[in-house]
Amino acid sequence: MIQQIIKYPTPPSVQYSTDVRVFNENIFSLIDDLKDTINANDLDGLAAFQIGSYYNIVLIKNQDGTFLELLNPRLISTNGKITTKETTAYFPNLSADVQRHDKISIVYQDRDGAQHSLQAEGALSVLIQRKIDYTFGSSFLHKLSKEEKKIFEKKLEFGSDVAISEVCPTTFKRDYLTKLSNILTIIIAAAFVVGLFMSDELRLSLWHAQLYLSYGVLVTNVVYFFYAQYEGRGYTSCTSCQIGNILGTTVISLTKLTLIMILSYFLVNPF
Amino acid sequence: MLVSGHTAATFAAKWLGSAHEVVVVTPNAKWNWIPSNIWVGVGQMKKEEVTFDLAPVYAKAGITYKQAKAVSLNPEGSASSNKPFVTVEFTEAGKAGTTENIEYDYIINATGPKLNFGATPGLGVGSELGEHTVSVCTADHAVHASHELEKCIEKMKKGERQKFLIGTGHGMCTCQGAAFEYIFNIEHELNRAGVRDMADIKWISNESFLGDFGVGGLHMKTMGYSVSSKIFAESLFTERGVDWIIGAHVNKVESGKAHYELLDGSMGEEEFNFSMLIPPFAGVGLKAFDKAGEDITATVFAPNGFMKVDANYAAGAYENWKASDWPSTYQNPTYSNMFACGIAFAPPHPISKPMSSPNGTPINPTPPRTGMPSGIIGKAVAHSICDRILKGENAPLHEASMANMGAACVASAGKGLFNGTAAAMTIYPVIPDFEKYPGTGRDTDYTFGEIGLAGHWIKHILHHLFIWKAKLKAGWTLIPE
Repeated sequence: MIQQIIKYPTPPSVQYSTDVRVFNENIFSLIDDLKDTINANDLDGLAAFQIGSYYNIVLIKNQDGTFLELLNPRLISTNGKITTKETTAYFPNLSADVQRHDKISIVYQDRDGAQHSLQAEGALSVLIQRKIDYTFGSSFLHKLSKEEKKIFEKKLEFGSDVAISEVCPTTFKRDYLTKLSNILTIIIAAAFVVGLFMSDELRLSLWHAQLYLSYGVLVTNVVYFFYAQYEGRGYTSCTSCQIGNILGTTVISLTKLTLIMILSYFLVNPF
Repeated sequence: MLVSGHTAATFAAKWLGSAHEVVVVTPNAKWNWIPSNIWVGVGQMKKEEVTFDLAPVYAKAGITYKQAKAVSLNPEGSASSNKPFVTVEFTEAGKAGTTENIEYDYIINATGPKLNFGATPGLGVGSELGEHTVSVCTADHAVHASHELEKCIEKMKKGERQKFLIGTGHGMCTCQGAAFEYIFNIEHELNRAGVRDMADIKWISNESFLGDFGVGGLHMKTMGYSVSSKIFAESLFTERGVDWIIGAHVNKVESGKAHYELLDGSMGEEEFNFSMLIPPFAGVGLKAFDKAGEDITATVFAPNGFMKVDANYAAGAYENWKASDWPSTYQNPTYSNMFACGIAFAPPHPISKPMSSPNGTPINPTPPRTGMPSGIIGKAVAHSICDRILKGENAPLHEASMANMGAACVASAGKGLFNGTAAAMTIYPVIPDFEKYPGTGRDTDYTFGEIGLAGHWIKHILHHLFIWKAKLKAGWTLIPE
């Protein structure tokens, strides 16, 4: 019978696997369910854990359509390292670069309880390791490097594997433009305060200076608005929040400028 | 009444008072707090800090102390007397080699194990440690280990790279925990000495997965999650840069090299400059004779030399194992006045899944029976005997089955007031009960673990607490096992 595969964000219905002790009809039926589920979902393998069973069983689909039944598998020895892009049914449509052992030797039991050993390398080795992880309550998330884990958590947040290849930075070059705009605005504001206590002649000079500076702020904000979007294209993982951020920053800056210039027009401008 | 076993003897003496005699037979002049041997083995404690003289303590408790080793049991007495007796051979200076027959009403066999170094060629001869490896099983072994470690550190300081191989020296070992503690204490000490970058450290054990610990692994609650001991152990080993070989039966040790067979049948060898390999345990080789002098050792003891108790020794295959197979009263089924506790009782079967290589070599941990469970068992057995003496022959026996018992374990991973670490774990029950707790056989609500500095402080406090208790100082009965 085809069983439902537990997928993220639903937590596994069992937290760990336990060894098969009694090899009976219940176990054979579970193995049949795993086969049906693998075929129905076009998968290359499945751990019983992934369909909510706590038995330590892994099924691998061979290229000829037959199945390798691994009951109570144990990873005994390893050799070499290999990094591949892995996918798993628990995280549908997502992938991550995972480092694993290139060659492995495992021991396992068949459905009659007889013990066997198996040597595997490359893709089969990676697949078996991934499935054995499940039998101990783990997933490839726990095998990722710190950096790769950050990226993968972003992928989980967006639910997409597409174009999420880096982490959104917290500082940009465009921040220099924002800083320049803020400095110019502060100078205009200071001129406004000083102008309140000056003679008409000096206030006229200050008003002219404020006007020129306000053009500078305006130009800086226009440059910022377009450059920021150009710079943002390089960080596709945070596009949505960038657009809002750029718009907000520009509007705030221009609002501040407008307010200061209106006040200056009436209180500093002598005409 | 004659007993062995410090916990059982001291409680029996307290409960029975001076109206009855409690005799302790032990070949050792000193008592050893074995868990702290790890710290002796890395030079962080002196032998004197983990041992003390038994004679004054037993004198204070009113216990008759004989520094001797038991050689044989005559549970039916002899042709001339119906009184059961034990034959002991003295080890104390001046009387060494002389023997004595000591009569008893009740006897507790708590001899601990024979360190069976001789089971692995090159690891040692009989119970004597060989020249190629070190051990932390006794305080003297640990002192020797610390000296060897110091030599390696000196070599590393001179630029000579060293390889450390720590683990189990046979496919049927127990006590993975001691080796686990030692490997991480070594790693910690090498860091402290500033030579960690000059060391390759490798773990070798008979576990079929890292984190089996001889109890079939465990799933512990930590920070709200259920984490497999495999993930826990692999994380720790990876974090501390320690490589591992598992499913290994070390079948030969040479100078600087260990040969092993893996569960998949393959053979391998590992070179080392320093190696601590735990030996397998066996019974101490006590013989038993009936009234006519016929050898009844096979009736009283299991083939591995441990004493038979009220366990189900006919449980058969792994799938038939039940929690109820494990003993609860530790009474010998043939002679009701004989009990065994701690390592000395014969377990019905392992706890970990039994496995063997395609060549037929059994490779799986044997069940641990040390630490907290052995203390609880010793106290329960002492209680049973005291009740039978004070309340009558039909007094019910006290029960302390490991299948109904939780245990706490604090495994040191480095000693230091501010940078020490230890893994603190609890497990309930020790023996999985698959009927009561389908799945892992354990209650994950009571099986949890954490690792950190607080664990180290607990470990260090326990060191002082248990030595205080063992010395029978004020309030010793209030300190739990």
